[in-house]
Amino acid sequence: MIKAHQISYRHKEFHILDSVDVHLGYGEFLAIVGPNGAGKSSLLSILANEVKSKQQVLFKDKNISDWKVNELSKHKAKFSQHNSNDIPLEVKDVVMMGRYPYFDAQPAQEDYEAMNMMMYETDIFHLKEREYNTLSGGEKQRVHLSRVMAQLQNEIAHKVLFLDEPLNNLDVKHQYKALEIIKKFTGKTNSAIVVLHDLNLAAQYADKILLMKSGRVTACGTPAEVFTAENISEAYNFPCTICDHPITGRPMIIFG
Amino acid sequence: MKTQSKLYVYLTISAILLLIIAVWSLNTGVYDFAGKSAFEVLGNVIKGDANLSLSDKYVVWDVRAARIIMAILIGSMLAVSGTSLQGLFKNPLATGDLIGLTSGATLLAAITIVLGGHFRQYLPEAVQFSLVGIAAFAGSLLSMLLVYKISTSGGKTNVVMMLLSGVAITAIGFSITGFLIYISKDEQLRDLTFWNLGSLAAATWTKNIILGIVLIISYIILLPKGKALNAMMLGEKDAQHLGINVEALKKQIIIITALMIGSCVAFSGTIGFVGLIVPYILRLLFKSDYAFILPLSAICGSILLLTADTFSRSIVEPSELPVGILTALMGGPIFIAILIKFKKSLS
Repeated sequence: MIKAHQISYRHKEFHILDSVDVHLGYGEFLAIVGPNGAGKSSLLSILANEVKSKQQVLFKDKNISDWKVNELSKHKAKFSQHNSNDIPLEVKDVVMMGRYPYFDAQPAQEDYEAMNMMMYETDIFHLKEREYNTLSGGEKQRVHLSRVMAQLQNEIAHKVLFLDEPLNNLDVKHQYKALEIIKKFTGKTNSAIVVLHDLNLAAQYADKILLMKSGRVTACGTPAEVFTAENISEAYNFPCTICDHPITGRPMIIFG
Repeated sequence: MKTQSKLYVYLTISAILLLIIAVWSLNTGVYDFAGKSAFEVLGNVIKGDANLSLSDKYVVWDVRAARIIMAILIGSMLAVSGTSLQGLFKNPLATGDLIGLTSGATLLAAITIVLGGHFRQYLPEAVQFSLVGIAAFAGSLLSMLLVYKISTSGGKTNVVMMLLSGVAITAIGFSITGFLIYISKDEQLRDLTFWNLGSLAAATWTKNIILGIVLIISYIILLPKGKALNAMMLGEKDAQHLGINVEALKKQIIIITALMIGSCVAFSGTIGFVGLIVPYILRLLFKSDYAFILPLSAICGSILLLTADTFSRSIVEPSELPVGILTALMGGPIFIAILIKFKKSLS
């Protein structure tokens, strides 16, 4: 559903991305991992049509820049790494922004339903009357996760979710909750591309891993294929040991 | 209650308030209607009563009613332009006068008044008639583009840069206008002084019709943008992900606010702070929900300016104060209040 071939991107003389191929299938949870400055966020921005690249990105067999902006907003949503700190509105108003593509002036019943449901799932329902600016960092993250998920509550099949480090600032419980929400979403033949820092969480939840270093893809495949001691030590310049997760059987990475 | 019906309730209440103030304003003044109220005389004017004395009709219709309508139109447009600019720059200090749009408009209007005589005859007649208006629009549009280019990069506005570029444009405008005053003839001098102080005393129905057309066109485009301006608070990229065509939105706001401020300056000079006061008060009541404060500022701006203008022409009867003095008296403290709040958010 997303095909990008040989994506390159430069800012001044720096090569940020160097011929990266990405292929995302229906119902796939793709995790992009890699050390700082590997180009993960830049790749995500290009795939989500935020930044234009010379090479074309195919979204559902059509060049992504040929899609109408308002039509695209019902097929994909993006969770950004740096969320605004100053939004002088109540939490429910911010979540309702996710429904903006669906109504003109007055939200319909299904918009309220989507808003309330996603506030429950992200555990912020009790905060709905609070002013957004008074929330903690992790709570703000959850508000935006809720907004992005509410945006994709519709009948359209095969939607795509882009998330740039959605687990920042979240406590352990909410990290798992967020990943469960994404997993549930991809379970309905939708897809997700997620930039993650925690390799163990990526190994447990993702179907496919894209390991990047210095703007290049160094390994791509299932968690078991990508998360080998050699691949990880080389990408991060740090020693590690791999063993099987006692419950899921997926690779577990122990650094040091 | 549904949000939309709540908005309509507030709009109705403020419209009724505006109507009451308009009636009070119509009845305020030194002219004596020989026992009748100004309202009765207005009724006779509308009915086309043949027995009406010419001076009664003139005072009610061509002086007071025209001025009231002009206050309503200009107050509304100044407030809406302020609210939209604040949405665009994501800051409650962005208003036409503080970021220099008004000065830019005044400057080009002043240049046309003083130097217009030299090139006026070469222009087509329709342009000649509206030359000052067109110049004011061009002046505010140029200042707008300059301020936007200086203060915004990558979708983020630097508030300090925004205000300082406003200060710079105002300084340039002030010095050139000063020079023009120095070289201008007597009659031009009167026009220039009028522009600098700001007044609604020169209201006529022709001007009101032009202002009304500008207002209708602008509001058809701007007033439905409440949701889009809310989404802009997330940042331009995230607004785009919500299906909003951010580039088109920015262009529309830049051109329409320049048009509104340009026409207000052309017909009433510089009346400051309306675009700051009205959104500030509405924000205290309704947070920053633009779907609410954008349409409400259209009516509350009228309420503010009409009230201020009625006071300005009645407190020192039979003379009158420039209305800009009253709006600045209210706006100054609000400016300081916003700065203090801004300082807290920085620390």
